[in-house]
Amino acid sequence: MIVTGGPSPAPVQGLIPARAGIGLRSQHHEAILVTAAPPAWLEVHTENYFHAGGPAVRALERARARYPLSLHGVGLGLGSADPIDRGHLGLVRDAVRRYEPGLVSEHACWGHVDGEHFNDLLPLPYTEEAVEHLAARVREVQDFLGRQILIENLSAYVSFASSQLSEGEFLAAVVARSGCGLLLDVNNAYVNASNLGLDLDTFFAALPRYAIQEIHLAGHARRRVGTRELLIDDHGSAVCDDVWAWYEDALRRFGPVPTLIEWDNEVPPLATLLAEAARAEQRLERHHAAAA
Amino acid sequence: MPRPRDSAPDLKTLQAAFGRSVRSATVNGTDVQLLAGSGDATLFSAGIDVYSNNAWQFFLTALERTYPVTQRRVGTDFFRQLARDYRVQRPSQHGDLHWIGEAFPAWLAARMAGTGYEWLADLARLEWACETSVAAAQHDPVGPESLAGIDPHLLPHVALAWQPSLQLVASPFPIWSVWQANQHEDAAAPVDLAAGAEHCAVVCIADRVAVYRLEAADHRLLQYLCAGMSLGAAADAAVANAGTLGRVLERLLAWAFGEGLVVQVVKASPA
Repeated sequence: MIVTGGPSPAPVQGLIPARAGIGLRSQHHEAILVTAAPPAWLEVHTENYFHAGGPAVRALERARARYPLSLHGVGLGLGSADPIDRGHLGLVRDAVRRYEPGLVSEHACWGHVDGEHFNDLLPLPYTEEAVEHLAARVREVQDFLGRQILIENLSAYVSFASSQLSEGEFLAAVVARSGCGLLLDVNNAYVNASNLGLDLDTFFAALPRYAIQEIHLAGHARRRVGTRELLIDDHGSAVCDDVWAWYEDALRRFGPVPTLIEWDNEVPPLATLLAEAARAEQRLERHHAAAA
Repeated sequence: MPRPRDSAPDLKTLQAAFGRSVRSATVNGTDVQLLAGSGDATLFSAGIDVYSNNAWQFFLTALERTYPVTQRRVGTDFFRQLARDYRVQRPSQHGDLHWIGEAFPAWLAARMAGTGYEWLADLARLEWACETSVAAAQHDPVGPESLAGIDPHLLPHVALAWQPSLQLVASPFPIWSVWQANQHEDAAAPVDLAAGAEHCAVVCIADRVAVYRLEAADHRLLQYLCAGMSLGAAADAAVANAGTLGRVLERLLAWAFGEGLVVQVVKASPA
């Protein structure tokens, strides 16, 4: 049975403002401390800061002193049918305690089976079994961390015949059963619309407004794979016009929420990232003004 | 939205089939039916190609980042082949890419046994030591003055605590020379691989990894000291020639304190 509705528990009172932030990558560890046009907040991949020390850890500690921070995990594979990696989860908790992030997020995906990790965000079937499994895993993580987490919608390149639900229904059910929040990646949804025929209007309409606490924006590539042309969520370019338009649509539906520019491959100069963040900031300001 | 088949796979079965497909970069007919049903098999296969390529590229990139000197010595093509074979036998065991290369030196030792390229495995061990060293905690060092107030008669009973980033690697091959010769973009200077054993200490201080070549006696002494032995016991165990014991110990301590490797002096009572 699919249960929907009902508010999530209050999120941890973090310091992530409903403004534009950027994903901090090692290329910008120094520049982010001296930029004249600082972003409103930063997000990092949790796994890159699992270590006890080293230059990356010290760089994040310096940045953390200046910026609100969000931790975004890519390695837990929450939807994996195999047991959760408790060692990995313990390192996530260590990072949360060390950096005290305003938001903690992971993905609605799986990543390992039969002892092998694929180190990628693999898609789940949208089934009742998968809802129950993922919700249970999210509850386990939230109990372990002692706080709410956000779950991000995935970009995908396949869909499964066994799916019973739409992607939006699936995410809404996981939210309702786990009390997690949602991280809405508009580019991922756009990629799925192109690759798999996802109807974005229907997708957005299915998401519980109260649960959406962060938005991701990123670029994608267009590649021919075999006889097919696919959009590849490579985070290697600027946000495209269509995604900006759907971002505006999301702001109208869900209100202004913290918005992140992700750029992980072919990482440009910091100024380019900040210019992208400024484009998001302008749109957020308009919606803040409209809401005032 | 396609309706599920009556015999829809459970989550574990679906993920096992998907994993098989990603691993082999192809979807067999049975798994296509299981995963995609009567859907577009061509589109499904194209999607599997993306995931398969991602998994391989993430694995290869992580290995290349950890073992740049090994890669340079064997060449890009052969390193790729090694990475493919390594992945088949030792697939990723962690959700964190950092650990992908952990088992590579031991795997390489088995792969290279009897080929005349056994030294590659020791070079890889040195690179893995660099990888783990840079991620270790760093503590404030103490100087030689921390020994000054100790009764000279009690000095042999003193033990030292070391920077967590300190790693020791020894090889019958000149791995330090090979590593050192490949630290610059220009062509590496030739190294005589028959030049004999080298002993290395790897440490990360002020965010920079340093790889030192030590004398064999110094390396042995440092091993004992890092294992927690007292200065006297370590020196007795490590230095065969009693006549040189004081000189070796003095040389090693001067270097260790000078490089900021000692983080605590632990005074112990004589037994």
